[in-house]
Amino acid sequence: MSSKINIYLVEYAINSLLRQKHKTFFITIILTILIFLLSSVFLITNSIKHELNATLKSLPEIIVQKSKAGRHYDIDIDMADNLLNITGVKSAIPRVWGYYYFYNSKTNFSIVGIDEYEEQYKDTLEKIATTLDFSKDSMLIGKGVNRIMSKNYYKEYFNFIKPDGSIKKMEISGVFSADTELESNDMIVMSINNAREIFDMPSAHATDIVVKIPNVDEIATIAQKIKQQYPDTKVITKDDLKISYQNIFNYKSGLFLALFIISLFTFFIIIYDKLSGLSSEEKREVGVLKAIGWRVEDVLKAKFYEGFIVSFFAYLLGLLLSFAFVYIFQAPLLKNIFIGYSELKPSFELPFVFDIQTLALIFFLSVPIYIAATIIPSWRSATLEADEVIR
Amino acid sequence: MLLTPEVLTLSILNVLFVIFATIAFVLSVKIYLNWDMNSTNQKQYQLEKYSFLNAIVIKYIFFIKIPLFLFFIFTLDKISNILTGAMCSAGVIDATEYGTYLIVLKILNLYLFAYWLKLHQQDKKDEKQLYTKLKFGIYIALYLFFMVEIALEGIMFYSIDINKLVSCCSSIYSSSSTSAISTIFSLNTKILLSIFYGNFFLIIIFYFFKNRYLFALSNIIFIVTALITLIAFFGTYIYELPSHHCPLCFLKSEYNYIGYLIYLLLFIGTFYGLSVALLKKSRKNYKISLIFNSLYVILLSLIIIVYYIKNGVLL
Amino acid sequence: MIELKNITKKYEINKNNTITALKNINIKIGEGELVIIKGSSGSGKSTLLSLIAALSKPTSGEVIVDSKRISKLPDNFASDFRQNNIGFIFQKYNLINSLSVRDNIILPLIPMNLNIDVLNTKLQNVIKMFHIEHKENVLVKNLSGGEQQRVAIARANINSPKIILADEPTANLDEKLSLAFIEILKELKFQGKTIIIATHDPLFFNFNIVDKEIKIYQGSIS
Repeated sequence: MSSKINIYLVEYAINSLLRQKHKTFFITIILTILIFLLSSVFLITNSIKHELNATLKSLPEIIVQKSKAGRHYDIDIDMADNLLNITGVKSAIPRVWGYYYFYNSKTNFSIVGIDEYEEQYKDTLEKIATTLDFSKDSMLIGKGVNRIMSKNYYKEYFNFIKPDGSIKKMEISGVFSADTELESNDMIVMSINNAREIFDMPSAHATDIVVKIPNVDEIATIAQKIKQQYPDTKVITKDDLKISYQNIFNYKSGLFLALFIISLFTFFIIIYDKLSGLSSEEKREVGVLKAIGWRVEDVLKAKFYEGFIVSFFAYLLGLLLSFAFVYIFQAPLLKNIFIGYSELKPSFELPFVFDIQTLALIFFLSVPIYIAATIIPSWRSATLEADEVIR
Repeated sequence: MLLTPEVLTLSILNVLFVIFATIAFVLSVKIYLNWDMNSTNQKQYQLEKYSFLNAIVIKYIFFIKIPLFLFFIFTLDKISNILTGAMCSAGVIDATEYGTYLIVLKILNLYLFAYWLKLHQQDKKDEKQLYTKLKFGIYIALYLFFMVEIALEGIMFYSIDINKLVSCCSSIYSSSSTSAISTIFSLNTKILLSIFYGNFFLIIIFYFFKNRYLFALSNIIFIVTALITLIAFFGTYIYELPSHHCPLCFLKSEYNYIGYLIYLLLFIGTFYGLSVALLKKSRKNYKISLIFNSLYVILLSLIIIVYYIKNGVLL
Repeated sequence: MIELKNITKKYEINKNNTITALKNINIKIGEGELVIIKGSSGSGKSTLLSLIAALSKPTSGEVIVDSKRISKLPDNFASDFRQNNIGFIFQKYNLINSLSVRDNIILPLIPMNLNIDVLNTKLQNVIKMFHIEHKENVLVKNLSGGEQQRVAIARANINSPKIILADEPTANLDEKLSLAFIEILKELKFQGKTIIIATHDPLFFNFNIVDKEIKIYQGSIS
């Protein structure tokens, strides 16, 4: 580890690795698999987080829900006008939305009702509102919904079963795509009155009210004011949502990391074991090297190069494989574990996210740990009594 | 408690450090007590072998610790996204009572480890290995410092409460806060700057006099004056905001990671300055120290000048 | 000049058991001499070689080479001493079979991190001296016994050491190769190198090259 890299020593280390083909191959493969698994998990969570953040960005600053006996309840749309009187509030829009459980495929669709004349609370909806025909019983559906409906032979229309058991027939007028696939995949957009009909909601009611506040610094104060004025409401700010989402994902990948640690320590022991069992061939070689003038430090350095080459190669290979696995093949199997929060298992595309910090994290979990496992075995062989070879 | 993947990673490596540092500690005690260069018995030969293991373990820890320190700062930055109120790592450090001590200790330990390696190098150069006993004695002390650091880190991550509101860096480093740091702002900027540049001038003078103790002493003081002026004065020019005094925000990508360069220059410059007194003085150490300290002063002065040229006024 | 003063070497097998490999050895070897150390296997002649090479340290006594006390050197200085002064020839050559002739010969130079031109000059010198230039890039395992022997000798000489140590160099050789080895020894002696050979092969005495003969029996000079 001195200042200058000795290229001959590197060459020697590579040759020595090639000489022990089987051992090198075995260790590299296992290390690569571990790194591959770990980095795949991180790449997937990063992509999902990225999607979520993009979704969150388009969310309103505050959502006001009515809460009764601890449960969410429909809210009076009159409250929206009252909220507008609070200084700093730019707009307060009642929303009608909810989940519709489609029994045949055992999935939930989220239905979003929009008002033709009112300002939309999201840019995506603004675009959709211009294409939706409000005069008819028609709706626009997301990609995932479209796939499921056509699988069940609903290609032109869909029959919703209302709470009273009667049927509401809605025409499918088109499929839309939004900025982020997570939000749009399971979404159905229709006119606000149709949505109320399907949910059997009175016309003066809404699911919740979204409040827009241009000045970020005022969000906390306004949220507090609303809470004071309407004690029966639950006030959710954007930050609350963001933090709870982030915690969910950190928790999940944390769990994976815990599993990874266990396998890593097992690996650590295997490596330690493999390297400690010095063959007589290796002993002889170290003895010869010392007899012809190598220092203990030179032997250690050669062993360090060997360890670094193997682990860094496995690191790069594992990363490369997982990049291909996640972004080219869309992480079959693994992805489902992480997107379980949505009932509708959407096959959304994982967006490409490049994050140096994650690469650093994976690096710290692989290369230094491998090298640590080699320290004591290397020291053992480097300090062998060299005079044994000439005895 | 906080259990992000980053914190877990840091913890795993800390566990590894504890194991290895403890092995080296036990062997160091043995070497310290029994080392005898003149002895020819098996025991002494075994101790010589142990000294190789110790050296490699300490080297390993140091060379992982440097990038890991950056990763630690990165991690705090990332945690600041989760903590309500925190804008950068400063808020996370301030979130618990341990944060500040931890950072100070971490930096101190980097200096100590680097010093140990210098001593080791010196030791290896001499046939009589005069410093062997000393260096392992120093490691025994260093080990205790290091363990306190790791314990503090664990406690800090354990006691961070996600639901608690923490202060943002601009409030920690503001003149209205009551912390010790805020007393800096009650000092006159002109006086501070004169001390800073005066201090640097002294380093140059002692460089020409080649007085190792005065040179090292002026370097120690330089660490303090450099940090104070960085917070009170130079930092505000990096942010181009007269009220923002955070010494950590400029580590972020928004400021092109300039903070890493600033701290690196200061670390290398003052470390070599100190090593002049603590180790054999060498012309090279004097020179490296002066070059890096000068680069530090030039870089910060340039930031002010560039700002003045661009805006025509000073903050 | 090499001088061994009152050398005793003990090996600890366990706490209560020590083996005395060498007892009160005093030897002086002048520059340019060719010395044979004779003795049956286990008599301590290999231990003697390893002490001269600073590969191991005596339990008591001193080894002095060119007025330098090498018996007390820390490992890295001992290694530097070996690197610059000692050329080792082992009983079974101890070459790395899967490396080429070139890579085997430059092994002693690797830690020095030399400039490639300097390294190549040194390499060319020895491979010409020992007539293996046509095999430079051949793997050692594909060489004949005689060629392997010359590679081993070339490796010992690449850093132009003053002292050559050989441990039972002819034990595994047929007569023809042994004779060839002795020819090479003559050449090395002619170059002024000090040569110390641990052997019990009587062949060496048929030629008039041995300056001194040291007989070791159960760890003492007899």
